[in-house]
Formats: sequence, structure tokens, C-alpha cells
Amino acid sequence: MDGQSVRCANAECNFAVDGRCVEGFAIDECPHVSTLEVDDIEEVEEAEPLREEEKVVSLASGETLIRGDASSLQRRRPSRSVGIVAPNEAGKTSLIASVYDLLQNGPVDGIGFAGSSTLIGFERVCHDARTSSKRGLPHTERTSAGADATFFHLDLRPADGEVVSLFIADRSGEDYLAASDDLTRATGFFELRRADVLTVLVNGEHLATSAQRHETKAVTPQIVGALVEAGAVRRGCRLAVVLTKQDVVLASPNEARVAADFSEIVQAIIEDNGSSFATIEHFVVAASPRELGKVTRGEGVNRLLRLWLSPTPAAPSEVPRPSESTRLMDLLDTAGETE
Amino acid sequence: MSDVVSDVAIIGLPESGKTTLLAAMWHMVREKGVTSALTFAGLSQGNYEHLNALAKRWRSGKRQQRTQLAGTRAVSMRLKDKADRAVEVSFPDTPGEDYSRMWERRELDGAARATLLAPSIVLVVNGNTIRFPAWIAERNALEAGLGLPPELAEVVDWKAELAPTQVQVVELLQFLMSGNLYVGPRRLALLISAWDEVEGDGMTPEQLLKANLPLLDQYLRNGRDPWTWRIWGLSAQGGVYEDADTGETLAATEELRELAKPSDRIKVVDGVTVGTDITAPVEWLIA
Repeated sequence: MDGQSVRCANAECNFAVDGRCVEGFAIDECPHVSTLEVDDIEEVEEAEPLREEEKVVSLASGETLIRGDASSLQRRRPSRSVGIVAPNEAGKTSLIASVYDLLQNGPVDGIGFAGSSTLIGFERVCHDARTSSKRGLPHTERTSAGADATFFHLDLRPADGEVVSLFIADRSGEDYLAASDDLTRATGFFELRRADVLTVLVNGEHLATSAQRHETKAVTPQIVGALVEAGAVRRGCRLAVVLTKQDVVLASPNEARVAADFSEIVQAIIEDNGSSFATIEHFVVAASPRELGKVTRGEGVNRLLRLWLSPTPAAPSEVPRPSESTRLMDLLDTAGETE
Repeated sequence: MSDVVSDVAIIGLPESGKTTLLAAMWHMVREKGVTSALTFAGLSQGNYEHLNALAKRWRSGKRQQRTQLAGTRAVSMRLKDKADRAVEVSFPDTPGEDYSRMWERRELDGAARATLLAPSIVLVVNGNTIRFPAWIAERNALEAGLGLPPELAEVVDWKAELAPTQVQVVELLQFLMSGNLYVGPRRLALLISAWDEVEGDGMTPEQLLKANLPLLDQYLRNGRDPWTWRIWGLSAQGGVYEDADTGETLAATEELRELAKPSDRIKVVDGVTVGTDITAPVEWLIA
């Protein structure tokens, strides 16, 4: 061994200077020596320890679905799609939240919960009607105007039936109202063109007050007419006209008047556009009442849910469909559709 | 002949009783003179320090320490069934925070993901700490009926953690049946823990599921996702245990220690049948 090339790892050893091992080992027995220079050692690139963020696996967000995601889910099983047209504060978000919140206590009219991809979205809109919000009265946030429609999703199983996916569209009421001023705005309402059930809400609180009563009576049939005229509604879909906030109506002195006004609204829609829909039915609901007593929470929502889940009759011009699960024509993102 | 290896993941929200279940099971399979569906088949090459520490604490009537937030502890038991088949059952001891993180932050770490690919799942839900959904309109009606003034409090913004227990648990099960955690059909043993605290309501485990966790009940019964499932009520402690950190001593815990065998503290409820065999759900899972 060449003493000049030997390096000892023991800092107290002077072998390199005087050729003697401080621990008395023969040079070929000493555990501290090396014939390698530091520079001789090849640099090995150490694998970087896996950083915490690289190990993280992302999970589905649980928020409301954008159009493409809703369409992907639609392909999995029979589905129904619902569009809700409602002037602001008519109670659209409360209605959506109430369907989910009723299921928290068990099946609704024999319709059971089988799953949902939008549990976070539902929890968000339910919060302000729950005691965990610490509010004194139930409250609901408005949907932002101008944003694309998104979808709440529930998989539901009617008694003795198969699981059906329900997609409920959420778009600002202001956007739908704007369509009655400018029909071209309706071309972007993809969620309505594919809806099995168009659901139009009539604000019962507005009908109960003098200031907004006549505006509500006038504008509701006009919105339906504008959507039909603009081709925003699929021919043959069902129409549900829903009087909301029945708790407020019953608490007002104008209960009978509201009932008569609502009936007139429904008649006006039937006269003007009855032929555009497979069926037109009317409902009265108290989705998120401020007070109980005369109504129960979610009253009337069960009947509406039944309609939402009922099979869609084929439109007069449509070829009969072989099965519900092959309804690709109704997918929310059908290729080639113009927005 | 090599053992059959069976992976079982024990999942549940924080403080649902997952670690206590492991502790009681490890004690029971090694206790002499006990009849159980699965029995101890000897030690293998594994490290039993964690399991032994859990069982020691359980026997002494001390509450389990919260499973460390740092991550999953590998736990494996070599057991044999009634047909004398040896089965190596691994149950990683994972902190409940990993599962609440899945709900709240919509993510999990790689180690937890590996655990959750097990074909057999034990889901533990603490029957005594279920967060129920409650509505303002109903609270107000109740308060008005009692003549109570409305409570005034600062409004609380929405947070995922405020969601009812049943919603969080359903989402957990949905995660296991979708995306990168999907492994096909699985078996699920649903254990309602702290049964000694809820049995006074006079319900069977199935009735309790329907009454107190109706959304979970519907999700499982409607069968959208391919779970093969059964439910048990479980009291793995049999009563209240003491907090070792504060040095408290409780008469109720002393009574438990007075029992002839520690396994006599365990209560496993299957329908209306009450027993002490804490291995029964696992035997069903791996059968």
C-alpha cells in the first residue's frame, strides 16, 4: 500500500505525516484508513425524500357538478334532469336544499337515498337553515348571476324501483328573467334544453303582498313563453308550476287571493303554451319555512320529487327510446349542440 | 402451508373507538379459556410492541391515547379460524383525523390510500357522539312551545366539519367505491361502538342505524355501491375508562377491573343476540 495515498479518518492520527498509526494498527488492519481521496468518490445523486405534498391523493370535491361531469355521471344509470326557473328569492335554493334535508331523516314517500356526488354542495346550501349556523331564522344565499349552470346530484331509489340519478340545475334567477327581455340570452340555457322536468317557481310571498302581486302574475307566464319561443325547452318535457313559501302565504291575510292568483298563472301558462309540454302540473310547497305550525318543513316537496323522478314521455316527434339507460340524446353535454 | 393473508382496514372518524377495538381484540385472542371465532395462532416475525401496549392499557382500564397524528401504525395478528385455517390479518391503526381530512380537505396521504385498498372494511361509528342534523324552524317551534326566548348568537359560517356524522360517513364509504380507491365489491362490518352508552334506548343495532343514521342506512340498503354488509353493536370497554394522564380513579372502572376476566367487559350485539366475541365481525369479513 502506498503510504502517500492513504488517508486516515481519525483526526488525531498523523499517519499521513509520520507513517505511524496512533492506535497501533498495522496499516492494512486499521479500520479508519482509506486509499481514496474525497475527490475520487463519485458523486451519487441522492433521491430526494418524497415531499409531503407529492404523497397527497386528491379526492372528488363534492361540490356541484359542471356540465361535463354531470354528463359523465348520466351515462352510468337511468337519469332525470330538472331545470328550475325562478325569479330571485322565489326559493329555488331552499327547494333544492329541502329535498336533500328531508332525506336526512329517511326515505321521502318511499324514495330512498342511494348516494350523491355533491354532498359538499348540498351541505353548503343547507347550512343557513340548520341550527349549526346559529341563525335566528332560516336563510338562503342567492345563486350568483352570470355564472354557468351547475348541477346537484342525487342517486335515489323509489320503492320497488331501480336507482335513478337526479340532476337538479342551479342557475341564477336573474339570468332566466333576462331571457324574457332578450330571447337570444336563452340560447345558453343548456340545462333547460335537456331537462325532463322544467320547474317554474312562483314566489308565494310576492303574491301575498300588494306591491309585487301583479308583477309576479304577469311575469311568470311571460318567462315560460319566452323560453318556449326561444327554443330553450325540449318539446315534450313536463312542466311543474310551484307556489313556494306556503308558510308565508298561510300567515298572511290573503291566503284565498294567493290561491286564486296562482290558479290564474297556471291557466295562463296552459292557454299560452300548453301544447309545448307533455304535462303541466301545479304544486304548493313550504321548503324551508320560517315558522312551523301551519306547515311542516319541506311540505309538498315529496309530491314534486315524485314528478321529478317519473319517466319522461317521449316527445311526439321522437322515435321511441329502447331503454332509459341509452338516453344519450338527453345527455347534458350532447356533442354538436350550439350554446 | 403458508397462511392466508387478509387485509382489513379499520376506518372511522376521530374518537370512534378504532384503537380500543384493536386493543380488546388483541387481548381477547390471547386470553386463556376464552371461546372466540378467531383465536391466536402464534407470533410471526412482526413487531407486537404497539399491540401489546394497547392491550396493556385496555386491561388496566385506562383510555387509549389518541392515535398519533403522524400516520398509520402497521398492526398484524396471526389468527386461526374454527377450521384451523391460519389467517394473517393486518389492521393498520390509522388516526381518525386521516378520515375527517378526507371529508374536510378532500385528500388523503399515500399511506392511508394503501390501507384503504383492503377488500374488507371495519367501519366504527361511535353511537354516543353522533352529530345529528337539526333545523332552525324546528328548534324555534320547540323553544316557542316551551316559552323560551330565542337564543341570540353570532352567525357561524359554513365549514365542512359541521356536517352531520351520517353525511361524513356516507362520503367516506362513497370514496371507497369510486376513483382511485375503487377495488370492486367489498365487505363491510359496521360497528356501532360505545354500545353500553346507547343500549338503554332499547334498539337493536339495525334499529339504531335506521333511527340515528338514516342517511347511512338508506345508502347501504339501496345498494347503489356493491357493499356486502352487516352491523353489530360493540362495547369494547364495557364502561368508562380512566384518563391515565390526569391520574383519575373511577368507581365504575374499578368495577370493570373486578370482573373475573377482562374479556367479560366486552359486549358484542348481533341483532338481539348479546355475546363477548369481538372477533366475530372480523371472522365474517374474512370468511
